[in-house]
Amino acid sequence: MLSPYRVLDLTTERGLLCGQMLADMGADVVKVEPPGGCSARGIGPFYKDAPHPDRSLYWWAYNRNKRAITLDIQRDRGRDLLCRLVERADFLIESHNPGYLSQHSLGFDDLARLNSALIYVSITPFGQDGPKASYADSDLIVMAAGGPLILAGDADRPPVRLCIPQAYLHASADAAVAALAAHHERIRSGLGQHIDVAAQQSVAMATQSYILAASLGSPEVRRMSGGIKFGPLDIPTVWPAGDGFVAMTFLFGSALGVFTARFMRFLCEQGYCDEATRDKDWIAYGEQLMGCVEPLSEFERVKEIVRTFTRSHTKAELLQLALERGFLITPVTTIAEVVESPQFASRGYFQSVAHPELGESFRYPGPFAKFSATPIEYRLRPPRIGEHNSEIYRGELGLSEREIAELSRAGII
Amino acid sequence: MPNDLPLKDVKICDFMWVMAGPAATRILADYGATVVRIESPTRIDTARTLQPYLGNKLGPDSSGLFANCNAGKFGISLDLGNPAAHAVVRDLVRWADVVTESFSPKAMRAWGFDYESLRKLNPDLIMLSSCLMGQTGPLAKIAGFGNMAAAISGFHNLTGWPDRPPAGLFGAYTDYVAPRFTAMAILAALDHRRRTGQGQYIDQSQAECAIQFLGPAILDYSVNGRVDGRVGNSDAAFAPHGVYPAAGDDQWVAIVCRDDDEWRRLCAVMENENLASDSRYACAAGRLEHRDAIDSSIAAWSRALDRGAIESRLQSHGVPAHQVQNSADARTDPQLAHRGHFVALDHPSLGKFTVEGPRAKLSRTPAVARRAAPALGQDNQHVLESILGYHETRISELAASGALG
Repeated sequence: MLSPYRVLDLTTERGLLCGQMLADMGADVVKVEPPGGCSARGIGPFYKDAPHPDRSLYWWAYNRNKRAITLDIQRDRGRDLLCRLVERADFLIESHNPGYLSQHSLGFDDLARLNSALIYVSITPFGQDGPKASYADSDLIVMAAGGPLILAGDADRPPVRLCIPQAYLHASADAAVAALAAHHERIRSGLGQHIDVAAQQSVAMATQSYILAASLGSPEVRRMSGGIKFGPLDIPTVWPAGDGFVAMTFLFGSALGVFTARFMRFLCEQGYCDEATRDKDWIAYGEQLMGCVEPLSEFERVKEIVRTFTRSHTKAELLQLALERGFLITPVTTIAEVVESPQFASRGYFQSVAHPELGESFRYPGPFAKFSATPIEYRLRPPRIGEHNSEIYRGELGLSEREIAELSRAGII
Repeated sequence: MPNDLPLKDVKICDFMWVMAGPAATRILADYGATVVRIESPTRIDTARTLQPYLGNKLGPDSSGLFANCNAGKFGISLDLGNPAAHAVVRDLVRWADVVTESFSPKAMRAWGFDYESLRKLNPDLIMLSSCLMGQTGPLAKIAGFGNMAAAISGFHNLTGWPDRPPAGLFGAYTDYVAPRFTAMAILAALDHRRRTGQGQYIDQSQAECAIQFLGPAILDYSVNGRVDGRVGNSDAAFAPHGVYPAAGDDQWVAIVCRDDDEWRRLCAVMENENLASDSRYACAAGRLEHRDAIDSSIAAWSRALDRGAIESRLQSHGVPAHQVQNSADARTDPQLAHRGHFVALDHPSLGKFTVEGPRAKLSRTPAVARRAAPALGQDNQHVLESILGYHETRISELAASGALG
């Protein structure tokens, strides 16, 4: 879909997904790494747990469909080569600390003079300017600053993050959308622009709009294991099954109470509760609890009934019931269960990607959507360091073998 | 307001509801797309029933979630069970560049609004269907919400403590991830259509999008056979890496040392000579091995201190730290204020309604939340008269037929 477009990807470990999203959709993404490789190549886990810059699974996860060259952009000759690439590029993505590339005369203003149509995308923890723009960061820091962290975890322990870093994925994805919106405008105007994405804002998306609570005059919610505390109510979202856990939406109100009523009818049929319990007003139930019309102890009794039911069934049985009867239940799965899932298999989701130098193929997360006219293809496995130096420097910029060897000796590439 | 936004020429007929879909078209609306959101007058959008509420009061338009996901759109109420509404849908499809929907698979087909039918009305139409598990497969029909898709794609099981059941992520996590892929897919398909004249159908599984965010864990399994589990806030490479108590009720600060130098600076700020000089902690491998002891020492220090003071003191020494923010903290966060993260829109009946602003800053054509989310059917007249060009008698007939609710 995006095959006419060239993307220069100067991101550190913070912005890799942005280029991969564009690359999956066909863009010609060239990862520009410092000699020795991008910092992300040092992040584990590794193939067979042996650290090696071409075998970082973190690198593999976010760099498929890209080509890769090395270039020391801090030195004049490296900078000049980058400028030659910028002249023919449509997008440049970077995730350095604010000001770093400007110091090397590679800021937006510098490069817009070379290529006024360039869309220059910056992904940073807090944005290009402002009181926290130069804050030291990490995934956990951004999740703390942007709102999601406080909402997850056990009530008697500190808030907890998802153990696979997420913050820069949210930011990278916002950046990719913004880049294409700017591109759409560029078709009319012929002009590029600078896009400034702050991960702190991007992760606020993962609060389900609760980031707005105080601004709206609404109370905060508080974390609890497998659910959320809403005022005096403990609302579980994760429930025990006979062989693990399931996620179940057991909520009230005019939209969700209908599902709860259907579910409670089934529990009554199955002998888990009496008719009076079945016939509670599940639409108004939340308000009844908040208004103390229904005592909290009664809600506790109801939850125990539900738990008794879920505990007496396996995850697979509960999923089958959900499918047959329209209950809002899915299993809490391990990564192994995800990769081996018949659902994903039936859609051909996980894709086998060959790594010929290792003589093996591995299953990667598959295309994010099925496009009827332009299906996403995995054309290139994640590149090794400098794998496409010759293709780009000789084939495209017309450097001779001798010049390339000399640049290599000088440590530029 | 003159619309000179990037997507000012993009027209979207939007059947999506709840969160994952509307959050995507909200992004496109901020960039200037004209989005006509079709809502059922009989089956309320679940998002309208969900907290947080403006003024903490449940009302048809008071959901902050609905307001946040639907700012900038036009709203029309159409009862799709009423045949008179179908003619309006067909006209909207002829008008639109893009049709989006997020019902369970088969709902659109049941109404005769599947892609094959709609492209007869609009041959270069782009249509995107988004649902939990995708349009095909044994679980295609599973109804539900993003918390369920997050559970079945592995997220919940990776969040929490190794000695406890899964804590799970807050809310409908896949609904936070999928919207970006939805918006991307639409923009890329529009570019393809501009160059080739070819529209297409896009089948989006919200779970399959979200799994893009678990890449390293998926590969650790498929390459090394390892099944990741819960590790609390531990990191594989960094220690300390945690959330520590601060003075006050349920107050916390996140602190991370990414290298040995940051560790030395943390010890200096803590004025803890014993930690600083302990050779076991000098390098990351040692700190990872002794992370529990280090965490206890940091917690003992942080417990009595103000979390904001910890943040600024550590950051002034270049150590990653941030107070763990709730919505009240976010509201007064100077950086979010600097970025204009919160935007107060004028709601026709509720006064000022605060939503989140656009997340990316474009230097020349900045995105903007142009209007508050529509009340149910608020823009019926505008859509029918100005967008579809219906005559007043036709609009009256439609209203009389009950098609508008």
